[in-house]
Amino acid sequence: MASISIKSVWKYYGDTPAVKDLNLECLDGEFVCILGPSGCGKSSTMRMLAGLEHITAGDILFNDKRINDLPPKDRNLAMVFENYALYPHKSVYDNMANALKIQKVDKATIDKKVKWAAELLELSPLLDRKPLELSGGQKQRCAIGRAIVREPELFLFDEPIAHLDAKLRAHMRSELKIMQRRLKTTMIYVTHDQLEALSMADRIAVMRDGVLQQVGTPSEIYNQPANQWVAGFIGEPAMNFLDCSLTESNGHLHLSHNAFSFALNAEHIAKLNGSAKEHSQVHMGIRPEHVTISARATPEHPIKGEVLVTELLGGDLLVEANVNDTRVTIKTDPDYIADMGDTCYLGMDTSRWHLFERESGVSLI
Amino acid sequence: MKDQLTEAFVSTKAIFRDGGLVIDAPAGARNAALSNRFYFYLMMPAIIVLAAITLYPFFWLIYMSLHTVDLGLADDTWNNLKNWTRLGRDRKFQEGWWLLLKYSSLCMFFEVTLGVMIALILNRSRYEKILVTIFLMPMMMAPVIAGLVWYYMYNSTFGWYHWLMQSLGILGDKSILGSSSTAMIGIVMVDIWQWTPLIILIVLAGLKRVPRDQLEANMVDGAGDIRNFFQVTLPNLYPFLLIAILLRFMDNFRFIDAILVLTGGGPANSTKILPTYLFDVSFSFFKLGRGAAIALTLLAVTIVLGMILVRVFERPSSTRSNSGGT
Ligand SMILES: Nc1ncnc2c1ncn2[C@@H]1O[C@H](COP(=O)(O)OP(=O)(O)O)[C@@H](O)[C@H]1O
Ligand SMILES: [Mg+2]
Repeated sequence: MASISIKSVWKYYGDTPAVKDLNLECLDGEFVCILGPSGCGKSSTMRMLAGLEHITAGDILFNDKRINDLPPKDRNLAMVFENYALYPHKSVYDNMANALKIQKVDKATIDKKVKWAAELLELSPLLDRKPLELSGGQKQRCAIGRAIVREPELFLFDEPIAHLDAKLRAHMRSELKIMQRRLKTTMIYVTHDQLEALSMADRIAVMRDGVLQQVGTPSEIYNQPANQWVAGFIGEPAMNFLDCSLTESNGHLHLSHNAFSFALNAEHIAKLNGSAKEHSQVHMGIRPEHVTISARATPEHPIKGEVLVTELLGGDLLVEANVNDTRVTIKTDPDYIADMGDTCYLGMDTSRWHLFERESGVSLI
Repeated sequence: MKDQLTEAFVSTKAIFRDGGLVIDAPAGARNAALSNRFYFYLMMPAIIVLAAITLYPFFWLIYMSLHTVDLGLADDTWNNLKNWTRLGRDRKFQEGWWLLLKYSSLCMFFEVTLGVMIALILNRSRYEKILVTIFLMPMMMAPVIAGLVWYYMYNSTFGWYHWLMQSLGILGDKSILGSSSTAMIGIVMVDIWQWTPLIILIVLAGLKRVPRDQLEANMVDGAGDIRNFFQVTLPNLYPFLLIAILLRFMDNFRFIDAILVLTGGGPANSTKILPTYLFDVSFSFFKLGRGAAIALTLLAVTIVLGMILVRVFERPSSTRSNSGGT
């Protein structure tokens, strides 16, 4: 098993940077997700870890040993490629057995491991097929199989289940997590799907345009996003952002929107750390599940709005409301009855707010 | 026009009867039937011309092989398959086959091995374009010229190749072409020199199509360069090697310009590969009937070899990268 550290790593393709000054630690046996939209440099990072791409600057250490110049075959890692990269001349079985054959493992062991992986990935009936006779999802499972039959020190999974259908994807999520916990192999897992990252990872590294935005546990990423971009990227439906300003009246700090104004409590003020003046233009961020809705005005629901549209998602109801020309999404119970054009009243859980500086997006609270 | 329409109609009915489901199948089928005809008529002139210049000589060859042909001095006479039966007793014919196979296999082995190795090196080189151009030069030369160039290089009084080999103690006073034990090597080397570039060119094109992702996956699986070459690169090169080898085999059976210039089949017939013997029979002794019979055996073997090669190199699955798609 290996601990990985990525130290100030840069990747340039010609003159265009794909990864900018990446610093990331990955403990022995840890499951780390690299999360970000496509084109943000996730695959480039993986390929540098695998030794398939030259590291423009910086160092990558496995177990505190610099491996920048080590060829892929000596890194003892298994990788699942984004585009499967199966060997078309070989059967599914031989695709999966390839690495073990190279290691000169005996036939019986190879057979046992390949059968085990095929069972896990529901590939058993397809072992004799050639990759071209497989569907996209089957190819992807074959590629995963090829990685897990080995016992490497590090798993690199690059969007391994992106092409599976929703049900199988949910199944594979838990299977992969269970497998990783059982094998205790360090795992770096790339995905653009925040749900995957939140549900599987011990820690998540969020990337954007080659720049690492935040590293933290799923709950840290979800509850204490480092900036407005991370806050908006994580969570489905996305966080609401409202243009607000910080104003002072009667010695109290207020958060003012054109439809409402709240006094900040002591906790908020402590977090702001006296810097409120400099950040008077802010975005207030609140997740749809932390906004409450009511048909009548109550002390808990002071903000008046108008229902734009409702959307039933199984156990939840999404309501989109217009609050003085700002759109707010609310997640509520399906028994709330609302029609387009109805007046509604919203309440916000002030302990669940986020404030972001409007210009830079840096998180203030 | 009328019977085309009826035929198209019949075929659309056939489609319906066979359970065609698509609503606009009749129109589509009719168009297809019509346009196939149309294209056929468009191609007719080309087909006629091609038939005239290939099929006619082919049948004439068969005709000649069954007759004594005397170049217009007398009428061609049927000779009870004498041209064919004589081949069975013709030592030079059998020797010629043996020498041709030896010559071809030697050329092929060295050209393919060298060609692949050089292509691998060039493919990694930064100066690929310039180097390829330089490497291609021998191929641009007319085979007769190539033969002459090497004829002089082999010359035992002023050829620098001979001088070099002599200084190294590899050759004696006699030119490489002067002894029946080494002449074959002499002509093989010329063929290698001239035609390895073709293999390089084809293999280079093939190397560009070897999917990088498979190479990378294999590297991550723990394969070194050599293993990667045999496991991924080579299987992906098969179709290209097939083309190269087929071309070279057929050329070896046809191109004897260089050999005629270098040795004319000598010394002591040690380089009289079958096509050179065929040349002698037809154009030195003017036994055109017998020549035709020999030519037909060459043609038959070429076809059979071609089919075997295609069978050997044909792979059930495509070699394209199988990325993407669901
Ligand atoms: N081989 C390459 N040559 C040039 N640019 C590349 C190459 N690979 C990736 N890029 C660029 O680098 C950026 C990051 O790519 P990538 O790491 O594949 O992103 P991701 O995997 O997050 O989608 C993209 O803008 C992409 O266009
Ligand atoms: Mg990617």
